[in-house]
Amino acid sequence: MSTMTKTIIVSFSFLMIIVSFLIGWWAKKKVTTSEAYFGSTGMFGPFTVGLSSTAAVASAFALVGVPGLMYSTGNAMCFWMLSSAAFAMAYLILGKKVRAMSEIGKVASLGDLSDLRYNNNKVIKITMSLTLFLGCVAYLAAQIKAGSELFAHLMGWDPLLTGFVIFGVLALYMAISGEVGGLLTQAFQGLVMIVAGAVIIAAFFNITGGFGEVLRVTAEAEAVTVNNITKDFSPDMLNAWGSMPRVVAMSWMLIPILGTVGQPQVITRMYALKDPRDMPKMGMYTALSHTMVGLLTLVVANGALYLVATGKIDPLVSGDRAIYALADYSGVVAQLFVYAGVLAAAMSSASLFLSICSTVVSRDIPNALGFKFEPKKQVQISRISMLVLGIASIIFSITQGEMVGILGTFGWGTLMSATFPVFVIGLLWRRANEKGVMCGSVVGLALNIISFAGFKWPGALPWYFNVVALSIAVTVFVSLVTKEQEINKKLEAVIEL
Amino acid sequence: MDLSGKKTAIIMITTALWLIITFLGWNNAYLVSMYLGVVLMLLYMMLGTAKQGKVSKKLFFYCLFPWAILWIVSFSLADYYANLFTGVVPTFTVLGFHPSFAATVFGYWIGGMLTLTLMYMTFKDEWMSQEYWDDFTKKIKEIDKIEEPEEGGAL
Repeated sequence: MSTMTKTIIVSFSFLMIIVSFLIGWWAKKKVTTSEAYFGSTGMFGPFTVGLSSTAAVASAFALVGVPGLMYSTGNAMCFWMLSSAAFAMAYLILGKKVRAMSEIGKVASLGDLSDLRYNNNKVIKITMSLTLFLGCVAYLAAQIKAGSELFAHLMGWDPLLTGFVIFGVLALYMAISGEVGGLLTQAFQGLVMIVAGAVIIAAFFNITGGFGEVLRVTAEAEAVTVNNITKDFSPDMLNAWGSMPRVVAMSWMLIPILGTVGQPQVITRMYALKDPRDMPKMGMYTALSHTMVGLLTLVVANGALYLVATGKIDPLVSGDRAIYALADYSGVVAQLFVYAGVLAAAMSSASLFLSICSTVVSRDIPNALGFKFEPKKQVQISRISMLVLGIASIIFSITQGEMVGILGTFGWGTLMSATFPVFVIGLLWRRANEKGVMCGSVVGLALNIISFAGFKWPGALPWYFNVVALSIAVTVFVSLVTKEQEINKKLEAVIEL
Repeated sequence: MDLSGKKTAIIMITTALWLIITFLGWNNAYLVSMYLGVVLMLLYMMLGTAKQGKVSKKLFFYCLFPWAILWIVSFSLADYYANLFTGVVPTFTVLGFHPSFAATVFGYWIGGMLTLTLMYMTFKDEWMSQEYWDDFTKKIKEIDKIEEPEEGGAL
């Protein structure tokens, strides 16, 4: 790649960072209450919230790691990535109940929802917050590492400096305008990802002639070896299952689909919606934008396979290079949008997870421990914590690469195990009581830590599947064998809504 | 469809399904697990959409049930065609996709997304009408009048 091309790519991406900062700066005038700062509660319409949800869900892993897995192991990962139905499902399961909770009390965070549902139970709030923190910090570190290393590698810059330039700006606008700035910048970054998707999809069809050609060449290529790197092909690699054990495909269907309803970036957006009756419309916007991102990952993997199978490029050293290989082959316009799109994916997810981490450490856990502050003071404390956490995350992500890799196994499943017993079971079933959810949350946190420490679960299922199933089972079992708890009339109305 | 009084039983079934799917997953029974996964999701959606314990028949028969059938069919076709064309180039494609993967693309992905999303929009009043929401907020205000205001989340 020529220096001129690199300069254009970086300039375009930095323009996106500047626009994000300006949106974040502008958004501060909308931060008139602490609910706005922490949760954007009831503030935005379905288009903005829908785009923001997609952008926050689709991390850099979705754009880089998923096509990489599909390049390496075939289509099993498509069950995860083509899960666009999950948003409507999440809103059907939990949408009106979560939104209704903000009508019966002040809701600006997941901790507030827990307080309202479980009578300010400290153990539930703290264990859920700790598990959330674990999952969010893992995601945050992975986004910072991916975004920083991409541009450091491209321009030969120092990764730490690159990290500070990109994610320091992000931490700054998040500190200034909180979730309002976060949600609006995520919506903008979601748009960037959609445009990037349109560009790369057009490039894919232009280069390959369509999926039929990809299927034909990959079925016939057998193996391509260049410089001791071999890419094996087979007629089966583009069937529904690819080369992974099929049971992995099963878990990659169930966990993302049902996991969506438990992701903080989805639940928090349910109460950010101004008119709850717009939730079906939001489901449509979210599904369509997610479909675009899903198609992007599909064409990237197929495009890279086609290029390698036809000998137009060498086999990739790593599957994660698939998106860049296709963009580089497609020309400068595709490169501009793909690099900006990957950065947008990293930034949108990072801003959401930074915000949740900050809310957990500066507000939810101190509050559960009895430290309460006036709203204005609380916002000031959270601004400082957002900046401190942002800086600490950048340093940690860049300097502790191995640990980030280990933490990278946390994320989706960990977040699901934190929220599913507390909110999904708790808001669908009035019989779920404090003891049951407390036990489920503690077991969920403990099993996450045990898995982190290297415990091997039986079978080929990803470890988080076992953790989620057991934490749900413990919640329900303990709720059933302990005394039914009275709940107040307003909460009863929400659960029956 | 009245779920009042059956919610605890449904939650117990969903919990059993989680454990059964996990056990089947350990033993590589992927296809049965996927079918049971659809039942699990269907039950959660029924609980989530129930209003005062009642599931709208329109929402169930035009949205949830067709979605469940579509996904079960798509998983079956994905498996059937993958087995049929194992190790060989498929004799036909669907818009260029391997027939096995076409079931995922058009059934699981696009079909599932459109069935749930479009029907959700079409029957949004069955999910929650404006009147129903207004009644809820009015009820909350009435409870507030006769009870101490709920403290809720600390700000």
